[in-house]
Amino acid sequence: MDDADFADWARDAWGSLVRSAVFLGCSLHEAEDVAQSTLERCYRNWPSVARADNRSAYVYRVLLNCLRDSRRRRWWGERPSEVVPERRDDTTPADEVLATVDAVHRAMADLARSQRDVVVLRYFAGLSEAETATALGVPPGTVKSRLSRALGKLAGDAHLLDLRPEAARERRTARRRSEVEDPADPADHPAEGARP
Amino acid sequence: MTDLENAWDDLPVSTAPIDAVLRAGRRDEPRRRPVPRPGLRTATAFGAVAAAFVAGVVVADPGGSGGDVPSAASGPASGAGAGGQAGAGPIDAESLAITPAAFHGELQAPTSCGALLEHYQDRAEDLRIGPVGLRDRSDLPRPLPALSAPALDSAELVGTTGSYASDTGTTVQEAGVDEPDAVKTDGDLLVRIRGSELTTYDVGGPEVEELASLDLDDLHDGELLLAGDTVVVIGNDGSPPRYDAAGLPLGSFPRTTTPAVPEQTRVVTVDVTDPAAPREVRTVDYDAGLITARQHGEAIRLVLRKGVPDLGLGRRARRVAEQRIAATTLDDWLPRVSVDGGEDRRLLECDRVAVPRADTGLVTMAVVGFDAGTADGGAGADPTAGLDTLGLAGEASMAYESTDHLYLAANDADYSAGTTHVYDFALDGRGASYVGAGEAEGTLRDRWSMDETDGVLRLALGASSETGNWNSIVTMRARGDELVELGRLERLGVGEDITAVRWFDGLALLVTFRQIDPLYAVDLTDARTPRLIGELKIPGFSSYLHPLGTQRLVGVGEGPQPSGGWGAQLGLFDVTDLTSPDRLDVVSYGPRSRALAGRDPRQLTWLPQQRVVLSVITRGRAVYVSRLQLGAGRMRNEMTRVEWGSDADVVRLVPVVGDDSAGGAIGGQVPRAVLVTGEDVRFFDVD
Repeated sequence: MDDADFADWARDAWGSLVRSAVFLGCSLHEAEDVAQSTLERCYRNWPSVARADNRSAYVYRVLLNCLRDSRRRRWWGERPSEVVPERRDDTTPADEVLATVDAVHRAMADLARSQRDVVVLRYFAGLSEAETATALGVPPGTVKSRLSRALGKLAGDAHLLDLRPEAARERRTARRRSEVEDPADPADHPAEGARP
Repeated sequence: MTDLENAWDDLPVSTAPIDAVLRAGRRDEPRRRPVPRPGLRTATAFGAVAAAFVAGVVVADPGGSGGDVPSAASGPASGAGAGGQAGAGPIDAESLAITPAAFHGELQAPTSCGALLEHYQDRAEDLRIGPVGLRDRSDLPRPLPALSAPALDSAELVGTTGSYASDTGTTVQEAGVDEPDAVKTDGDLLVRIRGSELTTYDVGGPEVEELASLDLDDLHDGELLLAGDTVVVIGNDGSPPRYDAAGLPLGSFPRTTTPAVPEQTRVVTVDVTDPAAPREVRTVDYDAGLITARQHGEAIRLVLRKGVPDLGLGRRARRVAEQRIAATTLDDWLPRVSVDGGEDRRLLECDRVAVPRADTGLVTMAVVGFDAGTADGGAGADPTAGLDTLGLAGEASMAYESTDHLYLAANDADYSAGTTHVYDFALDGRGASYVGAGEAEGTLRDRWSMDETDGVLRLALGASSETGNWNSIVTMRARGDELVELGRLERLGVGEDITAVRWFDGLALLVTFRQIDPLYAVDLTDARTPRLIGELKIPGFSSYLHPLGTQRLVGVGEGPQPSGGWGAQLGLFDVTDLTSPDRLDVVSYGPRSRALAGRDPRQLTWLPQQRVVLSVITRGRAVYVSRLQLGAGRMRNEMTRVEWGSDADVVRLVPVVGDDSAGGAIGGQVPRAVLVTGEDVRFFDVD
């Protein structure tokens, strides 16, 4: 077992795994737990994971299983996983993270679970159609049809207005500017110019 | 959409906890190979599980190896207790991380009885406590239209069925799988139940002769199965169904429009070795509602459903409610069984209850198999002796049995009801074992929408939030522990509802309805690519299709009447060339008439030798038998009034062939039909 290989791969995969779990309905903390269990399972089977042609399909399949298991975990009284130390950089205030996660959940809530799975794996995590199909255990045609319906639904979603990422970014930039006195390029934030 | 993409990028993600992952991986490694003698590994693991269960149920022997418990007393198991769990104290979830072979994949076995109870309690607490007790979360309580036609055999809104009567004279869905009915016959003996009264008749002579009757006391809604000299009566003790404040059946979660059925099932075994003196042998009571009963030869299988227990939460404060939920025991959640009014026992052991990964509700399904013949008094007082049981902690109240598979299905309760979950069980005599699970987009109307041939499950699915506004045919096959979708044919009857389906080896016939009645023929010879091969559009619709052979099919339904108005009609179709099915003839029964076989296929009988179709028709309060003589592509109708009023539903026409079924008239045995009405049982003149 080559730990260094695994570590390199895991560092790359981490962000997408956590984000996928959030998009699939977890809080940020739960998402990190789920992503960690996913990595643990992958580590145990690393020789076969490393060899697999469709590694992403395998890994995301594990993620989906961990996610379902985690919803049952407290019901089953499993050991809680080791406490994850806080390593988050503190540039984003907690309430803003909460607001973002919440808005994502509201937007995704209009999708059925199977649509949500497809849209997260194929669209956000960037798996190929074939990998998504393998991860979900459905034919590629189904991936295609679920994805188009899901995207159609998301396109007309009113909850997304709540996200206003520009506004959030703007607030963050303004705060940083006042602290560090490092004015950002106003061209990045056209909305700011519109303000009186 | 771009907003979501930004959110994806904006989510502040910590750095990967690589060290923790590596530590966890290394720590687990030695534990995963704790067994000193590899040859005993399997036995050890099972022994350990058995010990854990026993400890969970019975006791209080935390440090013990379980060696003094009978089921753990075998050598290897004790060895494991010492080797694998030395000093581990009470049950260590990690060392028990294997599941009994029965469940895997989508269905998981609980690690212990305590864990199973915790599952029920936590699921209950997830629900909002409302004015009527346990309620689902606010976004869930909409009725699920797909479940509107429940698995109750007598309340089908839509149905298709097999083409020939079963050995006991009942028109059934699947050849070789018998279904209960109010009347059963073996050719000489006919048994019927009406209310709590079981009556035997001799139908071997020139006239029907009543032999004896037996009062079964508190038996309600009874139907019969006949296996040799044993009659199995399946009903309930008359307990009223539970309703909540909104007038909906209580105990269903999530809310479905399932009609309320008593949450009690009573099975009475009657010995008819001497038909003139039927003898009550045994009464078995279950505190769960009946979904279906099926019979394969001697083996009888019940599918039961126990709803959310009534915890008397009412308008209690959340805190009180939570305390009450926490005070529940497994006996509140799992069904119980008793024999002849004796002490009741838990029907399912914890390790026989699987928990689906999917969130499918807070009820418990139980599959109970037993042999009709062995259910005699000799089995003693243990109610679970001779029962083969399996449980599922979730809703799956559509049941379909083929000759060697049982499929339980439910719609997704977790989100919008767009996905159908299917659990596949292989049957062996009275036993059932879990094969796998799968899901398909679309809604399943009822058991008639499922069929299995050569290991391929075929589903006729209606529109759902997951599909376009059309119906689909989906084929699935077990691969490992998963049912995977093989093929799918979409866009059948856009904007229309399925009213009837008929399955054949390589073919499905499907009827949908809005204003006209398209009959679709779908080629299933290649399960991966279902293909639409023919289509026929005619006025009205069929709710039940009965194939007469390779060339003819009868459709029972309704449509516009020649005299004006809307009423029952029965159509004769030529299906010789499926690319262009054709309607040869139609019989209209007049405005406001109803053809009851459209709802309950047991009210239609096909007598192939005479080429006669008998079916029950009502006009107003008058109940008729319509006798249709087929010939030269036409149907000649003759109506006989047989009954009045609400007894219409009990009217049956049971074919009685006698001993020599192959010989027909030549052997001196003319196939006949016994007409069963509310008060009477007599031969019906077929010729």
